[in-house]
Amino acid sequence: MIQVQGLSKSFGKVKAVQNVSFSAPDGQITGLLGPNGAGKSTILRMLYTLLKPESGSAQVDGFDVRQSAIDIQRRIGVLADARGLYSRLTSRENIRYYGRLHGLTGEALEKKINSLMLLLDMQSIADRKTEGFSTGEKLKVAIARTLVHDPQNVLLDEPTNGLDVMSTRAMRQFVLRLREEGKCVLFTSHIMQEVAALCDQIVIISHGEVSANGSPDDLRKQTGKENLEDAFVAVIGSEEGLE
Amino acid sequence: MKKILVIFQKEMLDNLRDYRSWVTGVFWALFGPLLLGGMIMLLGNSIREKVDESLILPVLGAENAPNLIAFLEQQDVVFETAPADPEAAVIAGDINVALIIPENYSEDFSAGETAKVKLVFDSTRQSAMVDINRAQNLLEGYGDYIGLLRLSLRGVSPEVMRAVQVEEVDTATPQSQALIFLSMLPYFIIFAIFNGASPVITDATAGERERGSLEPLLINPLPRGWIAVGKMLSAMPFATFNLIITLVGFAIIFRILPMEELLGVQIGFDISTLLAVFLICLPIVFLACAIQTLIASFAKTTKEAGTYLPFIGLIPSLPGLALAFLPVKPELWTMLIPTFGQQILINQFLRSEPISGVNILVSAVLTIVLSAAVTYVAIKLYEGERIITGK
Repeated sequence: MIQVQGLSKSFGKVKAVQNVSFSAPDGQITGLLGPNGAGKSTILRMLYTLLKPESGSAQVDGFDVRQSAIDIQRRIGVLADARGLYSRLTSRENIRYYGRLHGLTGEALEKKINSLMLLLDMQSIADRKTEGFSTGEKLKVAIARTLVHDPQNVLLDEPTNGLDVMSTRAMRQFVLRLREEGKCVLFTSHIMQEVAALCDQIVIISHGEVSANGSPDDLRKQTGKENLEDAFVAVIGSEEGLE
Repeated sequence: MKKILVIFQKEMLDNLRDYRSWVTGVFWALFGPLLLGGMIMLLGNSIREKVDESLILPVLGAENAPNLIAFLEQQDVVFETAPADPEAAVIAGDINVALIIPENYSEDFSAGETAKVKLVFDSTRQSAMVDINRAQNLLEGYGDYIGLLRLSLRGVSPEVMRAVQVEEVDTATPQSQALIFLSMLPYFIIFAIFNGASPVITDATAGERERGSLEPLLINPLPRGWIAVGKMLSAMPFATFNLIITLVGFAIIFRILPMEELLGVQIGFDISTLLAVFLICLPIVFLACAIQTLIASFAKTTKEAGTYLPFIGLIPSLPGLALAFLPVKPELWTMLIPTFGQQILINQFLRSEPISGVNILVSAVLTIVLSAAVTYVAIKLYEGERIITGK
């Protein structure tokens, strides 16, 4: 469960995020939709405590991002935009490293790794060094690494960026599965169709501000547009960032 | 705190697999011993050969001074005809030294006046010094010899000429000659330590940010300072390994080279000296890793870090190079400067001088304190936002 109230952040004179509020409940998929550079990644970075908010506040499972960084980090799994795998380590070693950093050890950790590999159908690449992996293979390792500590809140930054059709489908099924497990899923995307297909709730961000917030049906009603894409354009007032 | 170990283990595994980087580091460690060994061999050979061989002396106007020539031939000098322009030949490096005997030599000599000869040489040419000194000594010897003969003929005691007799007492041991080489040792040792750590640190900090793996890493539930410390610790085995390689390299060079023949001295670089130098250098390992961790976390890319990390090792090792020419006494204040103190101590060990325990302690403590301070700054840097944004 993620709650955000009045969050703001600037870099020098650039106001990256201004007075953003929304909440992402458990068992739902919440999408942050917006053109490139709208401030989506900055919001996520504040949520996973890498950047400090200038004003406003945010809580993950009730823990405040300013005061309880470590508690939050235990409760979230983050698939960052840059996958950042270690190319000289095997898939298993990459996942194990993060597991150990989360305090998992021994047999429990190895069991968890094996079950994730089974789930993601990646046994064939389990003990290969990740150097030279395809984008889809890298994504699988990154997902397994994100989930190794079984986090209640999963943050995905542009998870389908650069994926082919098959991998994108697999990714979507995976996100739906997380919802079934009752997780709080928050993901960012600049792709309208993807958000429309998956999300229970859409938060549209443009120029660092929330310009609309609600279920796909709510958004259609608010704008009076039948088509969600038209609704999106109506909300942000331009066609930039549409694909 | 256990998680520092997790970071350390992962970095070790990662770095050991990146064998190109650390093999490059090892090359730097061997660079010192090989260079110094090569220099000793070259210089040693030239000194030894010159002393054993007879002096070859190019001469112009030998016919003007048959007595002088005969005297020098007795002293094992081999004459050859000098080129028409001896000065040009010396400048060009074709000959080391040339003797010119002018035409009026025999006239002056017969008249009992001071007869002049010219010796042409270049005093800055190190390799010619042996020839030059021998030629000078022989010519002066001849002058003295003739002078004594003339005094005796006139019934004057030769003692009159020697109002003061200088008796030379040279305190230099045979070893001093080789010490100029040994003084360069600390320079190579410190350089090797820094170069052992730098590829590893570059990869673990600047490299990690460049590849985008730093951000996901920092989201893990551990204080960021521990990540910095874990990474710094993982460079230490590589720096220590390089230190050992360098020391063993020097030991081998001094063992396989016939030092006694080359330089006329035996260098005491035995196991206990080796161990002492190793222990003195351990705090420098800490310092090298701390400084480079700090700098690499500032650098935006591995390329940027790679351009100046090698020079970071150069700066603290430079005083060692200066020590070879400007000896400094091991006073307490010198121990207050990290790396400088150790370089003086290493020199003392090599010279088998008595060493003050206080000096060792002070230099070690100061270096460790400074390293800890630098580590603290690196930790603070990791805790800031700059580590992520790179701005």
